[in-house]
Parts: sequence; C-alpha cells; structure tokens
Amino acid sequence: MASASETMTAAGPQGAGMRERAWYPYLLIAPSMITLVVVSLAPFIYAIYLSFHEAKFGRVRDFVGFDNYMTLLTDERFWNSIGVATTFVFIAVPIEFMLGLIGALVLNQNVRGRSILIPLLFMPTMMAPIVVGLLWKIMLAGSWGFFSYNVLERFNILGETSIFASPDLALYALIFVDIWQWTPFMMLAFFAGLQALPLGPYRAAAVDGANPVQMFFHITLPMMTPLLAVIGLLRFIDAFKVFDTIYILTNGGPGISTETPSILANKMTFEFWNIGEASALAVLVWIAFFAFCSIFYQVAKKRLNAF
Amino acid sequence: MADAASRPEGSRGLFWTTLVIVYAAIMLFPIFWMASMMVKPNDAMFARPTQWLFVPTLDHFSYVIEQGFHWSLLTSFVLCTVSTALVVIIGTPAAYAFARFEMKGKDDLFLFILGSRMAPPVCLVIPFYLIYARVGLLDSFLGLTLAYMTFNLSFYVWVLRSFCRDLPVELEEAAALEGWSKVQIFRRVVFPLLRNGIVATSVLCFIFAWNEFLFAFMLGGKAVTTLPVSIPKLITSQGVRWGEMAVVGMTALIPVLAVVFVLQRHIVRGLTLGAVKG
Repeated sequence: MASASETMTAAGPQGAGMRERAWYPYLLIAPSMITLVVVSLAPFIYAIYLSFHEAKFGRVRDFVGFDNYMTLLTDERFWNSIGVATTFVFIAVPIEFMLGLIGALVLNQNVRGRSILIPLLFMPTMMAPIVVGLLWKIMLAGSWGFFSYNVLERFNILGETSIFASPDLALYALIFVDIWQWTPFMMLAFFAGLQALPLGPYRAAAVDGANPVQMFFHITLPMMTPLLAVIGLLRFIDAFKVFDTIYILTNGGPGISTETPSILANKMTFEFWNIGEASALAVLVWIAFFAFCSIFYQVAKKRLNAF
Repeated sequence: MADAASRPEGSRGLFWTTLVIVYAAIMLFPIFWMASMMVKPNDAMFARPTQWLFVPTLDHFSYVIEQGFHWSLLTSFVLCTVSTALVVIIGTPAAYAFARFEMKGKDDLFLFILGSRMAPPVCLVIPFYLIYARVGLLDSFLGLTLAYMTFNLSFYVWVLRSFCRDLPVELEEAAALEGWSKVQIFRRVVFPLLRNGIVATSVLCFIFAWNEFLFAFMLGGKAVTTLPVSIPKLITSQGVRWGEMAVVGMTALIPVLAVVFVLQRHIVRGLTLGAVKG
C-alpha cells in the first residue's frame, strides 16, 4: 500500500508541527535500538571475534586469522550441509508455493465457514516447530507409526526400509514435513492477496467474454506477481534456517545425510565444542542471510509498496 | 471482497466448501492422533495393525506431573508474558516513531531491525552461550528474556509500524494544533486507535516465544525449562515416552489454538512482516 500517511507528514502544512523537535523521534526509538544493539549486534560482533580465534571447549585462545574459515571451506562436511539445505529448500519451497497458490484459488471460491476453516488451516504453521517434529515422529515411527503402517507399509511404498534409517528418504521425509507445516502459510497469504484484488478488471473481462483460465493468466497472475515474489522470498529465507523439526526428527542423520548448516553449527558448538569454526560458519551464514534480507526488503518496498 | 469467481450458485459453493473441509481434516489428522495418544495405553499405542479403540488411561498424565512438567508450563507462561510485556513497552514508541517521522539513516536502521529478525537463531545462540557463561546468565530468567528480545522486539517494531501507518495522520495534526503535548497525543489519540494492532502483534510475539526451542534448550537448564524443551527430554535412554510427549505437545498447542481463532487474518500480516495486510 502506498504510504499516504507518510507523504502527508512530510508534505502537509502541519508536518512542520510534528517535527519541531528533531530529537523527539530519536528519543522514541532509543530504547529499542539500544536493546537491539545489545542482543543482536553485540553477539554478531562477538561471533566475528570468535571466528578469528582458536576457541575450543569454551576457552578462547590465540588469534588465528582466517584459519577457521579455511578449515571450514575445505571441510567436505560443510559443503555437504550446504548441499543438503539447498536440496531441502529448492524442493520444499516450490511445492509449498504451488500448493499454496492452488489452495488460495480454491479458498477464494465461495467457500462457506471461512472464519472457522482459516484458523484451523493455520494450525500447522502456528504450532511450535518442535511439536510439528513430534507429530511426524509419531506418524512416521517405524513399524507402529500411523502413516508408516497404514500407508507406506500397506501399499509397500518403501519396501523393507524405514524412513529415518535411509539416507535418501530421511531428507524427503523432512521436506514432506516442511510442506505440511508451511503450505498453509503460503495458501493464506496468497488468499489475503486475492481478496485484496480490485473487481473492476474482472467485470471488464467478463463483459469481453473471457473464461476463468484467461482471467487467471491475464488478470490475477500479473496483479499478484509482486506479492507472490515477496512471500516466496520470505519463505525461501526462512526455509534455510529450519532447525527444530530437523533436530527432533533426525538431528542430521542417518550419517550426515540431513545435516543442514544450522544442525552442523549446533553440533560443532555443543558436541565437538569447536567454537572458533562454528562461529566462522555462523558468520558466513549470517552474511548470506543479511544479503537475502536486503533483497527481500528492496523487493517488498519497491514492487509491493509494502514497508 | 473481490471474489472474482464467486457467484450465487449454492451447489458449487457446497462443492468447494466440502473440498476445503476434507483437506483440512486430512491435514489436521496427525493432531487428532497425537491427542488420542494422551490417553492411550502403551500396548495399544504400539499395536500392529493400528488399534482405534482402547480403554483410556491417565498414566501419561500422572507421569508428566510426577516429573514436574507443570513447572515447565508455569515457566513458559511467565517467561513469555514478561518478555512480551517488555517488548510492548520498549517497542511501541519505536514503531510509532518509525511510521511517523523522518530520520537520518532510517533505511539502514530498518535493515538492521529486519536483519535481527531474520538471523538464524543457531548463529546467535553460539555467542549468546559464551557471553552468558561468562556473566552467569545461563539457566536464568533474565538471560532468556533478553535472548527472546532479539527476534521479538525486532518483529514487534517492524509489524506494529505497519499498523501505525494505517492510522490517519490528520487526527494527530488536529490535536497538535489544539496545543496538545506529544505525550498527550500519543496517549489519547494514537494509543486508542492502535490498540488492536498492539494486541495482535504482541499476541504473536507471545506465541513465538512460547514456541521457541533452541534458545530455551541451549541457554536454559534445570532451573529454567520451558515446555518445548521438556519434549525431547522424554526421549530417554530407557526408551521414548510417546504418550507423555503427546501430553506435553498438546499442552503446548492450547494457546496456539486459541490464538488462531482470535487473531484470524492478523496472522497473515504478522507472518509476512506486514507485507500483506490480511
């Protein structure tokens, strides 16, 4: 939405009245900004500091320059984790996107009882990710799990193997869980977008005798593109940092087949106590995320006029 | 309502409604299943083929109480309430200021706030752990409250700002012409109009804190154990306590269930960081 209020503050005749004291806005933001510097910027800077030091078992020793980075970048396990996360994100997010779009279009038909259905549909997205993991740990448990027994075993989909024992299948199971968890978010965000579209173009198209498919491709899709891009990007960023569900379902296993950078960094810190290298990993991931964030910000601001 | 395709055709509406209901039922089935496991005896739980009928038991509940999980519930509740209250007190003026005033370097500050929100928690937990170990904040209420500020304060400021921008600026300008002070304007004009936005955003903050796992797991401990952290603790060396995990998991779901019904479309706005007005 265009920021009508903001332009008015800047241009309106009374705008000067609101700005008479230049320090006032800074006073209002000061508590928040100071807190964020303490809880967000300071840890980041400390992580950078740690990444240049040899730090094991909680003790920070010598300055080692880029050694931790070099060790990390030549570590096959690091590249494996990047590969796992990339596979995870690039399979899960497009599927969530497509299913979400289809779901939003269905929901946009004259479905009744939306005020009950929408909250229920939101449950998987809003519940604790650790509980999502627990749910699917129960459903996919070997031999007695409801889904394992009644679907996979009955229709002999996997043969003899159990899901979380197989390196290939474990990752697909995690992708499946992510799709279950996040498709509702995509669906309801897209639905909100559809609801906000103006009716005029559809009326005009109906007069011209356009069919629903033509309307979708020539009206709905072009008008929805910025929103689709912003939501897709947001989900893309979020999917890279999934931790809780993977932690409780596989914790990176079997072997390192589902080990994402988040899981690896956690293991490096709290299992191997190799804090220097873990910090180097954290810093790299952080920088990548910050780059993604600024892209998200630019796209959302320019294309969607949000923010 | 821009229901382009909706026409007053009862039968088609019924078809789509049924479709969505069936979809929702399938998607939510795992939750029903976990709910049933709260009262399912162990032999019925592991039965092959799946056993639908069983004599309910309260064993899982009594074990959970024995282990003192009601203290985790209380811990979670107090921790989330306190940290959310702090976020509201600190964050509301900032959100208002960002929506209303021109400031130098506003874009950079935004990016910093967004970055705080988006940063992967696992990157933060490493420095947090080491700093806390040094200053003695591990396993403390204060420590976790502070850590939760990272994602919730940034989230709150960011989203509430989008609510602030929906308010008509004319009212504030009129009040300023009347000679009201800035504090009066905020209290009597802005705050009443912003109340819904504050409630919606802070309830989402509460839920994020409620659902949070990694910080609570790594920075908490024996003294401060939240509900999500107590779930993996039931995977013991003597076996996995499935029924007990179901009890704790369902308890963790209760506030979420309440919130999805109360907040409805505000959730979309929150989860998209204000990019989509639900």
